[in-house]
Amino acid sequence: MENNDIAITSRIRLARNLKNHKFPINMTEAESNCIIQEINNAVNNHDKDYKLTYMKELSDVKKNSLIENHIISPALANKSDEGAFLLSPDQKTSVMINEEDHIRIQTIEDGLSLKECWKICNEVDDVIEENVDYAFDRELGYITACPTNIGTGMRASVMLHLPALSITNQIDKLLYGVSQLGVAVRGVYGEGTKSIGHLYQISNQGTLGASEETLIDKINQIVMQIIDKEKNTREHLFKNNYDELEDDFYRAYGLLTNARKITVDEAMKLLSLIKLGSEMGITPMVKGKNIYQLMIWIQPNNISTIEAELSPKERNKKRAEIIRRELLR
Amino acid sequence: MLCNECGKNEANVHLTHIINGKKTESHLCEECAKKNQAILNSNFSMENLFSVMLNNSFNNKTYLPAAKSCTNCGMTYENFRNTGKFGCSHCIDSFKGRLKPVIKSIQGYDRHIGKIPKRAGGDYKIQMDIERLKNDLKGAVEREEYELAAELRDKINDLENKKGDEQFGK
Repeated sequence: MENNDIAITSRIRLARNLKNHKFPINMTEAESNCIIQEINNAVNNHDKDYKLTYMKELSDVKKNSLIENHIISPALANKSDEGAFLLSPDQKTSVMINEEDHIRIQTIEDGLSLKECWKICNEVDDVIEENVDYAFDRELGYITACPTNIGTGMRASVMLHLPALSITNQIDKLLYGVSQLGVAVRGVYGEGTKSIGHLYQISNQGTLGASEETLIDKINQIVMQIIDKEKNTREHLFKNNYDELEDDFYRAYGLLTNARKITVDEAMKLLSLIKLGSEMGITPMVKGKNIYQLMIWIQPNNISTIEAELSPKERNKKRAEIIRRELLR
Repeated sequence: MLCNECGKNEANVHLTHIINGKKTESHLCEECAKKNQAILNSNFSMENLFSVMLNNSFNNKTYLPAAKSCTNCGMTYENFRNTGKFGCSHCIDSFKGRLKPVIKSIQGYDRHIGKIPKRAGGDYKIQMDIERLKNDLKGAVEREEYELAAELRDKINDLENKKGDEQFGK
């Protein structure tokens, strides 16, 4: 069992604004276009090859698919007239323009890798600052549109797959515990804190009064503890509930490889089970397959971007087809 | 059938709740159903909670007075406290007196100690580096590490020269 099986991805996001420009909440479309040009030039002047996309070019399905892939935020998708984003060639780093702040730099890497993400974001941040004047206050740090982001403007988050803690009903206790430490927890897909597929996102609550490195260390320490708890619970389940688990995993696999139509909720639940089964060495036929990637592919809008827009019924059929193809390959 | 809640309008929304195995039925008119829905979908996002705190702080007379509106973008503080969002980077100066206690209460701190941008930070970044080095220097002298102290002193002098004659401003 690897740590990266549990901590699936890490993300750093920096919020920045330009001095002497109105913030997006207050801008006209002409002003927002100026900002987009200015930031595009600042990033791409430095032999970076980031691709610029305007929100107004995109269909709703395409926008939602970008959200499901964690490339843009829902808030940016709502800025259909003013928003845009720059995307790095490896698709790991994006610069959202005119979301809530003028600039939101984000990098996502596999596994527990906040330090690597910070390194990349920090570098992109420096490159942009060579060409623009940031809004910065000596006392309060980087000025953001919302005071909840002020200071470092940094949000560090780690996506965790916690099926063992979830099925043993320990998750609520754990999440309550970590929320006492100034850390926010939410489900990744699904509304509010409800999680489908046992995926949770842990991130820093405060952004002021600590250095970026300190904030990252804190999240890392908390995540390592959660990983240990998840691992211990898996070992406990392996020793005490092997027969039940084996049955659950094989049933999940059976459904996934035979279903002719499947909803996203059911698929996420079953995929989470076979991911756990594979990591515990109980379902060898799933080994080496990227189940997390499959969880992203089967989200409603990602399915619809494969072909022309599909109705929910057709999507459920297509979803079942994709899952069978990937698992039986 | 009339609405269970207001007893005035025709009930056209019929709900069945099963809580702990106990079944209850309610029949509501559209208006009351909407109201109930709104209560269940309360917005507890940080931004929303923050905006409420902000409202309280502006009503509280013990905080320092703040400008009525931002001198740069014209955002009024009524507007700011409703949205919880600044209109531009200058709003923060206009509303700082009242804002700082609120920022402290949500963030736990009211002083930035993270990254300082090269350009926007200007000499301030150098000044902070000098202060850090001076602190190191003090430690080195106390521990009688004179070689290290000399090195640190040279570094401090270099930075002092870099700072230039200009008053380091914002």
